[in-house]
Amino acid sequence: MTKDEDIDEVHTGFQFDNLARNNMLVSRGIQMPTAVKTGTTIVGVVYKEGVVLGADTRATSGDLIADKNCDKIHYMQPNIYCCGAGTAADLEMTTQLMSSQLELHRLNTGRQVLVRTANRMLSQMLFRYQGHVGAALVLGGVDKYGPALYSIHPHGSSDYGPYQVMGSGSLAAMSVFETRWKPDLELEEAKLMVRDAIAAGIFNDLFSGSNVDMCVITRDGATHVRPYEVANIKGKRLGKYNYKRGSTAVLSSNVKKIEIVSETVKKTPSSTDESMDTA
Amino acid sequence: MFQANTQIGDYLVDEHGRKIKLHFDHGTTTLGFKFQGGTILVADSRATSGQYIGSGNVRKIIPITPSLLGTMAGGAADCTYWERVLAKQCKIYQLRNRVHISVAAASKLLANMVYQYKGYGLSMGVMIAGYDKKGPGLYYVDNDGSRMPGNLFSIGSGSIYAYGVVDSGYRWDMTDEEAHDLGRRAVYHATHRDGASGGIVRVYHIKEDGWTIISEDDCTDLHWRYQDEKMASSSQ
Amino acid sequence: MSAEMLAMSEYGRDPRKHHFSPYADNGGTTIAIAGDDFVMVGSDTRLTNYSGILSRNQTKVFPLTEKTMIASTGCWADVLSLYKDLQAKLTLYSQEHHDEMSTPAIAQLVSTVLYWRRFFPYYVSNMVIGLDEDGSGVVYHYDPVGHMEKLRFSSAGASVAQIQPLLDNQLGALNMKDAVPPKVTKALAHQLMHDAFISAAERDVKTGDSCIIYTVTKDGVAEEQVKLRRD
Repeated sequence: MTKDEDIDEVHTGFQFDNLARNNMLVSRGIQMPTAVKTGTTIVGVVYKEGVVLGADTRATSGDLIADKNCDKIHYMQPNIYCCGAGTAADLEMTTQLMSSQLELHRLNTGRQVLVRTANRMLSQMLFRYQGHVGAALVLGGVDKYGPALYSIHPHGSSDYGPYQVMGSGSLAAMSVFETRWKPDLELEEAKLMVRDAIAAGIFNDLFSGSNVDMCVITRDGATHVRPYEVANIKGKRLGKYNYKRGSTAVLSSNVKKIEIVSETVKKTPSSTDESMDTA
Repeated sequence: MFQANTQIGDYLVDEHGRKIKLHFDHGTTTLGFKFQGGTILVADSRATSGQYIGSGNVRKIIPITPSLLGTMAGGAADCTYWERVLAKQCKIYQLRNRVHISVAAASKLLANMVYQYKGYGLSMGVMIAGYDKKGPGLYYVDNDGSRMPGNLFSIGSGSIYAYGVVDSGYRWDMTDEEAHDLGRRAVYHATHRDGASGGIVRVYHIKEDGWTIISEDDCTDLHWRYQDEKMASSSQ
Repeated sequence: MSAEMLAMSEYGRDPRKHHFSPYADNGGTTIAIAGDDFVMVGSDTRLTNYSGILSRNQTKVFPLTEKTMIASTGCWADVLSLYKDLQAKLTLYSQEHHDEMSTPAIAQLVSTVLYWRRFFPYYVSNMVIGLDEDGSGVVYHYDPVGHMEKLRFSSAGASVAQIQPLLDNQLGALNMKDAVPPKVTKALAHQLMHDAFISAAERDVKTGDSCIIYTVTKDGVAEEQVKLRRD
């Protein structure tokens, strides 16, 4: 191999170039930046005609709430959705990558993707990364074999069953399913149970909160409702905190003259036309 | 169960092995120097605990007697507590002996007290300044038990900046006003360059008849005042 | 005894280090604002342990005398034992002197009590609030080993980093051009305290459920409870 080829070699996947350096820095007491984690409550339940998935919408970074309304139910295929808990960036990239892989798989086979296929591909990917990709998933969907529901752990193991929970609020959520679940649930029963399971996480787990999101998947497709329920009303502040003009000290100012070379006037669509809502 | 030489750091782990943060106030610039007209003490007023600015107007120059002052750098609680104990002992000394305690004796009382706790994790770097029959006095005392007399000390994370300014402008025969200005400028420049120093720059002067507060200026106000002076002198 | 059996037995295993870990962080946020003839202090009522909620209705403000209170957050075990210690000392004082200890004296006492545990500190953020000998409001703020500062307003605990900048700006008129600190009325103090807790509950997982606001005047202590988010 020549030197040039060496340089041009294309690297794919994760880069570990800085690993040794970073370990050295940590050993010398430097704080590494912390990733945003969704200390989450996510659940799924199988009912008569399909699967109901649920999630809360809080993302935290340490004790701080980083996002009050994030989306934890990810699209995989028209008949498969996936809830994610763990490191936000890992979840985002894993679900995006997997949904495109599944789409390629669908085009290759010319058939609707099976839920078990998605489960196997996700488990194998997570196993390959030995838990370094911090994704904990609840995968649900309906295929020609009927409804199916899996939970997948960050190291690549997976569970199959009629109800699944994941995340820091999973104990609270599981208690709801363990007391109330029965075979052949009706849709409304299943939705109520998922709502209550997520609400249990929202109220009893510090790292879960805000709203309940839900996704119902049947043979005929999926409906993703966001928010399904606003579990918490925001408190009302008594005061107004607008600042007087000039509150910010101006330390220095300078005016730059811009030479206008050319000017064009364009007709914009009138307000009666359909325009972007910027409110 | 508890060994005498155990550091609190050993306990700061919760039952899951995660470190518990227990910061206390740190980060300072203090400055003291002797000159023809007595002793000058200058300090900033910022207290930091980790990255958080715990307070912006701490009094880091602590009265011990009407003619003795102590400064504060390192653990704020350590300095205030032990200098309070020192104040008590100085008062008792005066009542027993019917004379004011000398700066040398006072600083040695403090050095001996903290030396007893050597290795326990106290954190203090202080100056004891005053005026006695030998004239102006200035001593450096720290938690290792070190104690030394001197003409000029600066202690704290901003001390390197303060030293730079004082060293370039110091003369023994300065007037009082020149000395106040030099001290103030030195600590102002330290607040400007050291993130852990800031707030109010306090200047104290100790003469034969005791200590007085010369000035207390916000370092932002000083910044603009010095900036204006610079502009005025450069435009001439 | 065979090598296998030795390895299985409790004392035959590799040496293990048992860590002594006496501290826990049970969260909680407190705010105090002093006025000319009153002082207001509030705390949220959530008590936490890791990701769980231990209580939704536990105040962190405790009475010391008729006109002095202490607000403590951090390790709940230490909060309780510190409060008990202070109560005992104040009882001894009042029985010896036939009078209650003044607020400034209590403030110094708290500093000293905290420093006595310098080498095994109380893991607690404290504020002592009350009326001084002239009847005006005062707030004293402490670090865990007893460094004390007298203030007009302060906050402590889980959400200090959110709340203190708001108070510095609205009451201290900091970081604004040509702004002067406002006169601190009961209405203003109440509004800021209320809004600070509402905002902290929005962004801090350890603050929520409700807040209790105490107003100390020469006539006694008034109490008000406001609901916060419970998630």
